[in-house]
Amino acid sequence: MKVAISGKMIVPLMRLLVTFISFLVLGTLAASAQSREDIVLTGGPALRFLEHGKAASHDFYWFNFIDASVIRLKELKDQAKPDEQVTWVVYRPGYVSRSHEMEMDLLPQIKAKAQQVGVNLVWFDTKEELISYFNKGLDRDKTKIASFDYFGHSNKACFLFDYSNTIDTMSITFLHVRDLKKIDSDDFSSHAACKSWGCHSGEMYSQWWKSHFNFPMIGAIGKTDFSHGGEPVLSNSDGKWTQ
Amino acid sequence: MDSFLSHYMSRFLVIPGLLLGAWIFSSSQLPAQTETEPVYTAPVGAPPPVAPPVRKGSPLDHLTNDVKLATPTVGYKEGNTNAPDYWVAHRFVDDMGGSGWGWVKKKGDGWGSAKWVALQENPGLAVAPYRKLLLHDADNNWEYKFWGSIAAYKAYDPHLDEMVPVFILQGYEVVGSANPLNIKTGPSDRVRHRPSGASSRNSRPILTDPGID
Repeated sequence: MKVAISGKMIVPLMRLLVTFISFLVLGTLAASAQSREDIVLTGGPALRFLEHGKAASHDFYWFNFIDASVIRLKELKDQAKPDEQVTWVVYRPGYVSRSHEMEMDLLPQIKAKAQQVGVNLVWFDTKEELISYFNKGLDRDKTKIASFDYFGHSNKACFLFDYSNTIDTMSITFLHVRDLKKIDSDDFSSHAACKSWGCHSGEMYSQWWKSHFNFPMIGAIGKTDFSHGGEPVLSNSDGKWTQ
Repeated sequence: MDSFLSHYMSRFLVIPGLLLGAWIFSSSQLPAQTETEPVYTAPVGAPPPVAPPVRKGSPLDHLTNDVKLATPTVGYKEGNTNAPDYWVAHRFVDDMGGSGWGWVKKKGDGWGSAKWVALQENPGLAVAPYRKLLLHDADNNWEYKFWGSIAAYKAYDPHLDEMVPVFILQGYEVVGSANPLNIKTGPSDRVRHRPSGASSRNSRPILTDPGID
């Protein structure tokens, strides 16, 4: 079947094509104008007093989570364009109480590390403050979270920001899988790269994360070991990363 | 007619055009995804970081170096114990593996009103009585007078995936050993739980609906 295009139709068709291409370009430009933020979330260490004498005693080194976070922050900062934001969100009370125990103020050291790497440091004291930062810390219509990393204590269902820091082997500030619904999935870009470096996250948290946000979060099957002082490694022989 | 069609069709194409443009951009990979996963290599020969030396006289020094007892000393007091109102506390080790400390009730009340609690210690003021003992469960079924208060918040027990009321300890006095109590162990809503697999310890009983929110 032949379709005849008369001379009269060429001009309107050209206008139609130009309009379509114009809006395609404009739409692409509008989307590309959206900026990105990389977030590293860091929980607090246990108190040595509360961990003393345990067979599996946590956090001899007070900056195990901090040092691991700094390594990741440097990687993100190296990848980031000058106008892209890299943000370090740190649970302050955990380091206040460890400072008190050690009689050494750790907070200025954390601030100095953030300054050295050139990232924006955001403290949080409560779960509500953390969730508020996700949802409203920046204008999420303009700035999407493009990557998320968590360094801290966790079990399969929960990020534990003050494990054995306030109460022996327990936590009063945590982000349970049931709390994920309070974080707007539109805060993130659609293919955000997310990873929990804590223990057991791949056994449940990753599944809830994907179900809520519709993109994966890598997590560990088994425990992770921060005691080397750098990025954590899987400590179980049968451990693995999953999502 | 042609002009009419092209006029309206061009408007119809505005929205798909915008959506298509946004989709093309947003579905492309972001820089962080294209990087290979970093692997940390410990510096050769460098020792792992350790805790600083314990200061003499600090709570951690006492915990580490004081002589430990087999059982509590009746009449021993620690912390602020002068207020006339106190709680009666019964230590019980949770046979389900939870980290709760035991029950507390107000002086004069029956054990039916007792709360299962986690203990928030105050190093330097008053800490769990078992810190003075050889074993943390050596005071199972011992009773104490407790000074302090129930916190406004609850603690999350990662071993059982449940929420536990918190008692903030300001002081205590050892009363003595007591008969076991015939009341339910654990937080009041434990009975409603069903296994969910939320705990990281596969060998432990697992509870669901930890009451978060």
